[in-house]
Amino acid sequence: MVMINNKVKIKTTNLNVYYGDKQALNDVNLEIHSKEVTALIGPSGCGKSTYIRCINRMNDVIDICRVTGSIEIDGNEINKKEIDVVSLREKIGMVFQKPNPFPKSIYDNVSYGPNIHGLAENKVKMDEIVETSLKKAALWNEVKDRLNEPGTSLSGGQQQRLCIARAISVNPEVILMDEPCSALDPIATAKIEELMDELKKSYTIVIVTHSMSQAVRVSQRTGFFHLGKLIEVDTTEKIFKNPNNKMTQDYITGRFG
Amino acid sequence: MNKDQLLKKRYRAEKRFKFYGLVSITLAILFVIFLVNVIFSKGRAAFQRTTIAVEVNFNTEELELSSNASIEEIQDADFYDLSINSLLKLYKTEGAKQEKELLRVFSPDHDIEIKNFLIKNLDNLNKNVIVNLTTSDDIDQLHKGNYPRHLPEERRRISDFQLLIYDQLVKENKVNKVFNTFFFTNGDSRNPEVAGIGGSLFGSFFTIIITLILSFPIAIFASIYLEEFAPKNRITDFIEININNLAAVPSIVFGLLGLGILLGTFDLPRSTPLVAGITLSLMTLPRIIIPCRASLKAVPPSIREGALAVGASKVQSVMHHVVPLSIPGTLSGTIIGLAQALGETAPLILIGMVAFVVDIPATPIDPSASLPVQVYLWSEQAERGFVEKTSATIMVLLSFLIVMNFIAVYLRQKFEKKWS
Repeated sequence: MVMINNKVKIKTTNLNVYYGDKQALNDVNLEIHSKEVTALIGPSGCGKSTYIRCINRMNDVIDICRVTGSIEIDGNEINKKEIDVVSLREKIGMVFQKPNPFPKSIYDNVSYGPNIHGLAENKVKMDEIVETSLKKAALWNEVKDRLNEPGTSLSGGQQQRLCIARAISVNPEVILMDEPCSALDPIATAKIEELMDELKKSYTIVIVTHSMSQAVRVSQRTGFFHLGKLIEVDTTEKIFKNPNNKMTQDYITGRFG
Repeated sequence: MNKDQLLKKRYRAEKRFKFYGLVSITLAILFVIFLVNVIFSKGRAAFQRTTIAVEVNFNTEELELSSNASIEEIQDADFYDLSINSLLKLYKTEGAKQEKELLRVFSPDHDIEIKNFLIKNLDNLNKNVIVNLTTSDDIDQLHKGNYPRHLPEERRRISDFQLLIYDQLVKENKVNKVFNTFFFTNGDSRNPEVAGIGGSLFGSFFTIIITLILSFPIAIFASIYLEEFAPKNRITDFIEININNLAAVPSIVFGLLGLGILLGTFDLPRSTPLVAGITLSLMTLPRIIIPCRASLKAVPPSIREGALAVGASKVQSVMHHVVPLSIPGTLSGTIIGLAQALGETAPLILIGMVAFVVDIPATPIDPSASLPVQVYLWSEQAERGFVEKTSATIMVLLSFLIVMNFIAVYLRQKFEKKWS
């Protein structure tokens, strides 16, 4: 039996998202628990990515996007104008579908976040942050001798781990992962999954994935989205063994989607 | 039609298409070769100047100078008599007509040439020195082999007597061809043999610098704002359409604008690089903004998102990540815009840069010519000397443009390597 943590980290209530006239999320009520991995599954275009982009307010970038409803992190409402998105995103890191390291050195990729937030008062402290971040992302041993090479020279899997290191360099509380393994081969995927197991000890992780087996392997809780609605959310074990909803059952067994 | 025939037809179409492409490239190359050949064959001669060796005695008494005269004193002295006397010693003449013809072998400013020679070589005071003096345009062309000397005398501007002098001087090895430094250092002149592009070089230089200073920062900030920060609404759409339209407005319209507003309303000095630079900035701005925006747009959005996701502010994500990545496109767009401005003629004619200016401008508010306008001015002249100088100026202008375009390509490659 997997240990289930009951402390709620993120709670969304009646979350609606509109892109222009099109509604992308429809009254999503979801609780994400602290220090565990929550997987969001569902067919393409169901709103999983839109959902996690609400949590760090990345949807602000899109002009026509409108978000209504409540998003609480540790009980604090963040879906309001007065919230400073810069410090919000310091607390909530994100890893994207396609590895997107900055076209700078490996070192600069990791040090960029701490640098702009002033987390290191000197070079020694910065070196330390870069080293621990890369170690946490299980990349240190592969890159420690070539920190000055461009991040883009790494392999796809390494680049994605570099992006994870970049996300954890500012010491966030939550890490959002938007299909982090969809562009990677199985070996690189296995490494990232292993890493997530390790990271969930210190961070709350939300992962969007298209792979059922990945959701089973890495997550403790799974939410199933369909057409902008959250159909069902429960422990991963329950969702994959005995879901309440017929649609969930059909999706995880591959009958649609 | 069966499958085999269809396949053959497709292959034929492909071959035809390749053939058309080859033909057009060959034609283009032939045109370029033809153009370059015409310009080179005409302009080459302008880089050489014909001189005749003349013995000059810099006698201080004759020049009414003190025995160790200073440069200022020499500057004020009259060298005309000395010059005439030295020239007349070259060949035996009878009567005023022949004297005049002998003097006409030389460029009219021979006394100033002698003076300048002495100023450069002060230790020649009180000595007998050989000075190489510039010949008149006709003799210059004669020596370069471009003069129809077989024509009867009444149809030539060179008289039989002058031909005699010339042949004699050639026999004495006194006629030389030297590299024409005048062409680069002198201003414009009515005498083609001493006319140069010095003034227009400086004029063009000042103009381009002013254009760069005015248009580069404005274009960069405008494109960054429009591309990264401006809300997408009707006003920005309207601005975008206008920028694209402005880039297509004929340059002479900007000349009219400069004439009406800069010269008319603000009363800025006419024919100056300042006005030319402002006018050309107006013309160049949209031409720089468009490639700058394109290169900003080409930066993948994932880079912006990556920066925003670690908590960078909008300005930080743009300045730290997007702008550095767009530098190669921005710089090459700017340089190509400036190269276009450098070659622009029509607006400059309207703001009065077409004036005949002999002096080399020292500041951007002195009247001046510019390279393309100089080409235009000289192309209207009938003298053979101006014809070759027109082509030579085109060569100089083209080499500047080629160098600028090479810099653009170099910068693009250099910065792109750095980022990948």
